Amino acid sequence: MSITTGNALITEDWRIAGRVYRDPQVFEAEMRTIFARCWIFVAHESEIADGGDYKVGLIGRQPVIVSRNADDGAIHVLFNRCRHRGSAVCQREYGNANHFRCAYHGWTYGSDGRLIGVPFPDAYGDGFDKSSMGLAHVPRVESYRGFIFACLDPDAVPLEDYLGNATRFLDFIADLPGGIELSAHASKLEYQANWKLQLENTIDCYHFSFTHKSWLDILNQRGTSSPATWRENVAQNETWRTIDFGGGHSAHEYGSLESHKGKTVTNFSSGELLPFNFVVFPTLGFVGAQLRVVMPLSATRTRVLLYPMMPKGYDAAQRAEVLRNHEAFYGPSGAGSTDDIEVGFDRVAQGLAADAVPEDWILMSRGVEREVVDAATGVRYGRSADELPQRAFYRRWLELVEEGLDA
Amino acid sequence: MPELSVSGGRLELLAEVEAFLYKEAQLLDAREFDAWLTLFAEDGVYWVPSGSDDSDPQREVSVAYDSLSRLRERVWRLQSGVAHAQEPPSRTARILSNVTVEPDGDRLLVGSVFVLHEFRRGRLHIHAGRYRHELRRTGDALAIAMKKVELVNNDGYLGNLSIVL
Repeated sequence: MSITTGNALITEDWRIAGRVYRDPQVFEAEMRTIFARCWIFVAHESEIADGGDYKVGLIGRQPVIVSRNADDGAIHVLFNRCRHRGSAVCQREYGNANHFRCAYHGWTYGSDGRLIGVPFPDAYGDGFDKSSMGLAHVPRVESYRGFIFACLDPDAVPLEDYLGNATRFLDFIADLPGGIELSAHASKLEYQANWKLQLENTIDCYHFSFTHKSWLDILNQRGTSSPATWRENVAQNETWRTIDFGGGHSAHEYGSLESHKGKTVTNFSSGELLPFNFVVFPTLGFVGAQLRVVMPLSATRTRVLLYPMMPKGYDAAQRAEVLRNHEAFYGPSGAGSTDDIEVGFDRVAQGLAADAVPEDWILMSRGVEREVVDAATGVRYGRSADELPQRAFYRRWLELVEEGLDA
Repeated sequence: MPELSVSGGRLELLAEVEAFLYKEAQLLDAREFDAWLTLFAEDGVYWVPSGSDDSDPQREVSVAYDSLSRLRERVWRLQSGVAHAQEPPSRTARILSNVTVEPDGDRLLVGSVFVLHEFRRGRLHIHAGRYRHELRRTGDALAIAMKKVELVNNDGYLGNLSIVL
């Protein structure tokens, strides 16, 4: 990362070029590298618990079906594209089916993608080999403790190596009472700005007391927290730390994982399960009681799924509390998501339109002088409001995207 | 409760309910939120389902599922001056029509169709769907026990929906 020319995407002193958030060419490079080579979260096993269960999703711009085979329970990630004339064979977001039938000419595929039916097949002659004409498979599919990832790169490292030091945070989530399920479905957001802004925001404690002042005032009225308490923790609490796991993965922890083991109240209330904000590079995030999936549509258009995670061991009242907590802050009508969309995404897009400024950079250098590296693991630690997690993201991002721009 | 077997009574009831709904709509468009809150019963709920009109709010996420205390917080926030998502505030105009009233014991089950235009940050947004009000008579007045908003696009991706629908 030694580029300091006018064309640099990121400088050594951690300025990021405005075009990183605007430029369709950068977006295309992201598709060619990040989304073609990284492990992308596609489903939690609870979403496709039974044979025949499926859901649809995206790997970058690739529409896929995540399907559990009715016969042997194996999980397949299939491109949602008929081998005949290209029509998407699955139209529902999730469901249960023992086959996918293309509505255009009736080609029919099993839940493992196998082509099982072609109307009037004799017109293709003797050389037609049905066994080679199934729905195309995404080449790599692996699950870590219920979190299913897929990868377009057949030569990718195994998922567990990709996750690296970040696995213990996924373990903490998987070990919540009874394990978690995504049975509550997701809040669905769309905004007109770059996808990386949502990831930056997911692990940013610096913005909270400003962007979300109204929320902290509400917590103050409830007597559960206050703007002053929050600012004090961010400025002084040394157990609130930012973490760069390497590989682009990062977190902000509110006290160590060990100090929270077995507690039901980890943050503000019992509706908040996680004592950390956590990002698995490039598009999976965790906050409070939520799993979030960021889906880039273009350089300036993004969709986000926000799933309240439900511990299977929770009773009806506890589940309702998770839901009510989630809705109050997250989603299209929540106090937090709407303020983030307004300030952190829409107004950033508006501001970054000013590309005639003398220096078309944003700053991501907060706390760079006080990063501490654990020599044994290579994991970096910073203070609460330092931009260390964002730098963790962009270190990996730059390695990948530069290759894509060179190509 | 008016005598419902008499057609005049039914029209009278419909007129009373429509007047109530128009008043509610006017209060929301005028951003008179504190007056709007007084229309709710103490155990009233404001519910905007997500995913489908008949999702289960105790098991599945909603766009909003506010008890009166949560609704007071929502309204406080909208008027706090630091709710950035409503700075500047949206201007709204809503039309509602196709009102139906079905008495059910001491409740009135009221259906209507709405179209709501919202203008903010130079963009005009259109929201549409069905209101389902469950009204209760307390003394002379009607009170909202449940206001359910069935957005036509509640299974879609939504943007900044910080206004009260």
